[in-house]
Amino acid sequence: MKIVACVKQVPDTTEVKIDEKTGTLIREGVPSIINPFDQFAVELAIKLKEEHGGEVSVISMGPPQAKAVLTKSLALGADKAVLLSDRKFAGADTLATAYTLALAIEKLGDFDLVLCGLQAIDGDTAQVGPEMAQRLKIPQITYAENVVFEDNKFIVDKLTESGLEKLQVKPPALVAVITPSDFVPGNPPFSKIMKAKKKPLDTWTADDLGGDPERFGLNGSPTWVKRVYSPPRKEKGEILTDPPEEVAKRLVEILAKEGFL
Amino acid sequence: MNIQTFSEEQDLFRESLREFCEQTIVPRRTELEDKKEIPDDIIKAMAEFELLAPSVSPDFGGAGFDAVTAGIAAEELARADPTCSIPVLYLVQCSWGHVFNKFGTEEAKGEILPKVTKGEAICGIATTEADIGSDLGNMVTTIKPTDKGYVINGNKNYISGVREAAKYGGGHVTLARQDLEAGTRGMTMFFFPLKDVPGVTISEDEEMGREAISTGGFIIDNVEIPKHYLIGEENKGFYLVHIGYEYARGLIALVCVGAAMKSIENGIAYIKERKAFGRPIGKYEAIQFALAEHYTRLEMARDFAYKALYYLEKEQSEGKYSRMEVSKIIAMSKLLTPGWAFNAIDDAMQWQGAFGYSRECPDQSALRAIRSFTLAEGSREIMRLIVARELLGKDFIAYK
Repeated sequence: MKIVACVKQVPDTTEVKIDEKTGTLIREGVPSIINPFDQFAVELAIKLKEEHGGEVSVISMGPPQAKAVLTKSLALGADKAVLLSDRKFAGADTLATAYTLALAIEKLGDFDLVLCGLQAIDGDTAQVGPEMAQRLKIPQITYAENVVFEDNKFIVDKLTESGLEKLQVKPPALVAVITPSDFVPGNPPFSKIMKAKKKPLDTWTADDLGGDPERFGLNGSPTWVKRVYSPPRKEKGEILTDPPEEVAKRLVEILAKEGFL
Repeated sequence: MNIQTFSEEQDLFRESLREFCEQTIVPRRTELEDKKEIPDDIIKAMAEFELLAPSVSPDFGGAGFDAVTAGIAAEELARADPTCSIPVLYLVQCSWGHVFNKFGTEEAKGEILPKVTKGEAICGIATTEADIGSDLGNMVTTIKPTDKGYVINGNKNYISGVREAAKYGGGHVTLARQDLEAGTRGMTMFFFPLKDVPGVTISEDEEMGREAISTGGFIIDNVEIPKHYLIGEENKGFYLVHIGYEYARGLIALVCVGAAMKSIENGIAYIKERKAFGRPIGKYEAIQFALAEHYTRLEMARDFAYKALYYLEKEQSEGKYSRMEVSKIIAMSKLLTPGWAFNAIDDAMQWQGAFGYSRECPDQSALRAIRSFTLAEGSREIMRLIVARELLGKDFIAYK
């Protein structure tokens, strides 16, 4: 089984701040981490490989320092990694990112499954996975909590508003995952980190990928971020402490007044 | 002199270890203090994360840590466990695992070290006696060769991990006098087992801190150990013991930095929130001045500690520096750092007022633990003598 996992290096958003003047994220001095959803994607890919054999490739698009998340993925058990890094990729929106990643996946060769995090915690768009599937012309399942492989099909647990749906899909497919509540991220020990150093980690540029240069980076991005800001803090809410019957009555009044009913 | 920088792999290891600690150790502080032992599941997790005697070669189940990587783990474990019980277990096994791994017999290493790295046995150090600490040449414990091995008589006191070794197995790297006329030149190093050994009587001591790892002593009455438990050559133990001590002293400096930096971070969070006289107390100069000084000292201590471990590593693996150079730089690292760390934690507690003195505050655990390191593995007075000896030359060795 050949699996490709897509990962993104993101700032640790628990520590990120916004420059009020420029409206951009202040990344200096903020530690970078592997996007948590993506780490689950990588670990799920490795689990499937361990159960069924095969190979896990990990790709990431980003600046040279994004190699760190690929090294971590290799230390967790992935077999090879590719960093897509080129100034031409800079300023990519989700469409250009998905285009670039999809080209890289095609260049890697045949695959059975593409796993990616549902969204990155810095952008929260959740668009790259579906856009990649569209570009690769393969079926996609999002909001997945687990994937198993049986009878040449992937059985996917998809989280919905009302519970879990079990879906099945034939390879090749793309699954975008969210982290289940009981997921404990793996932490590779030193020996696995040192072994990861010996695994293949290549860097591909725009020239390596081929494709249409106008669809990379800023040139290929129909959307751009105008401003990033912290929303103003909400006013203190009202806490209803009366007996349940009174609370219910008051709640209905408030919801009606605010136009929710 | 090289300025120590970390490799990409070491940075990733630190990040991975910090996450491991957040998941496995940080939430358990009060449990460690209440139960007065490191729970088995933490030991198992540490074994899986290769934190038990990680300086041991992979051939015997270790992770093959170099001394700088070992320092990273010491610093991170102390950040995570303010009782420093886990860091003590770690640094003792790392230091003496290194000595055992380097100078032990293949038979003994194969028999004992894989169990230590799996968490099924302990590898401690036992040199201190009831009446001697730094003055090793006057210890009473003796070792005599026999046809089958060696017979040991004597006692050891204030030894970390005695209860654990008696319970799980393993034992201690130990020093005894063989040639009674030769002083420190007649001392032999060996591995001494503690579990179910006839002739061994174990006792425990209560300490001020570090509750989750035992401290105690053992009396040795005519106990015979096999020949292959010898470490290094007969009558050469005094030289080997300093390698272990220096490894441990280097790691202790980073345990102190890790614990104190965490306390300073706790203090910073508190002084930004806590208000007095209408403003956060972090706005007052009295606190800002102390904060700036503690932070500066700890950063300096941290960099110097890694430099010292780098020297140790280069000396041990490549013979690049002399033993004496390493002794000096390690002693310099251990001389001031525990005191600086203690004072930093003390002030961080002070800033936190009554809460700082409550059991709920992790910094009081750190304060009690860090106090031990002005003594453990060589007192600060001995560190001064070592540094002065190297500066003045052998004609000025004190007490000789």
